Amino acid sequence: MSSSFKELQSSWENSKTNKEPSIGSFDILYKRIKNKEKENYFFYYGTIIILTFTLIAISLFFYFVAPVKEILSRIGVGLMVVGLLFRIFIEVISIYKAKQINSLDDTLKTTENIISFHLFRKTIHKVIAPIIIVLYTVGFYMITPEFSSHIEFWNLVLIDVSYVVIGIILFIVIRKGVRKEMQKLTEILKLKNEITE
Amino acid sequence: MIKNKTNLFETVYRQHHPMVFQMCLGFVKGDKETVNDLSQEVFIRVWNNLDKFKGASSYKTWIYRITVNTCLQYVKKEKKVSIIELENLTSTVETENEINYNAMKLYKAIGQLKKIDRLIIMMVLENQDYDSISEIIGIKSTNVRVKIHRVKKRLEVILKNDKNE
Repeated sequence: MSSSFKELQSSWENSKTNKEPSIGSFDILYKRIKNKEKENYFFYYGTIIILTFTLIAISLFFYFVAPVKEILSRIGVGLMVVGLLFRIFIEVISIYKAKQINSLDDTLKTTENIISFHLFRKTIHKVIAPIIIVLYTVGFYMITPEFSSHIEFWNLVLIDVSYVVIGIILFIVIRKGVRKEMQKLTEILKLKNEITE
Repeated sequence: MIKNKTNLFETVYRQHHPMVFQMCLGFVKGDKETVNDLSQEVFIRVWNNLDKFKGASSYKTWIYRITVNTCLQYVKKEKKVSIIELENLTSTVETENEINYNAMKLYKAIGQLKKIDRLIIMMVLENQDYDSISEIIGIKSTNVRVKIHRVKKRLEVILKNDKNE
């Protein structure tokens, strides 16, 4: 061992003083753990809960409030419901993949699991999400002809236009999130190279 | 049961906090604000996995594994919190009398290494043997040796350049 490294090691040891946890730090940490447990629950299941409520609301609406009669409209409702069901299914797989990332695995395996998770998310964003949006949108516009005979024309225009506006806002928000995730994927791929090089 | 877990966790926390804190501090280049958050994050994961500890390795090695993984996954938050310039940091820290100037120089030097290399060299400084480092990182022991040799050389160059400045 070189002398300069020994010096380094002694600096390292010396800098260890005063790193004892302060009084009360354990209680703060314990509180944060409990808060984090709640946050994690919402992080994992929040989207599923919201999507499930949306699915139930849409199903109840078309069953009790506005039961559509024409074949075209029924197919439309079917497409919307299938789109949402598919989205929930994807979210369940996503949670399963996220839970595969285990802090107890070695660094290389953890890195590979994170890469696998982000590659899966990339497929969702680039392939599956657009399919679901198309299914939902086509379904939505398929029921409008039947709706037009029950509601005023301007209300229908308002609904259709608001759908487009909401769609654009969602597109911008989602795109921002996707970019962040893709950047993370690039960083983690670089990390894997650094581990194995 | 929960009380037992809490007691065990408190013991593990008190015993290993200095080591975790020190590694996190080296990883985030001495940024005190980030280090508290990061070291807490490590212990949150320790708590979440405490039931899974089977005693196959020592608590120390087990906690290293969690620390290394947590540090490497902390990328996003690390970017959110701005890294304070060394000059500012030094004055802040010196007035608080917590971290001495030599330690800051060391953290700065370690901070110039690649993220994985920072963690490897810190484990070496902590006197972890090559086999346990290889087990923690998941690469062959021979590769660890090569890496450590390379990192030591790089660190020596960094410190030499710092001295000349």
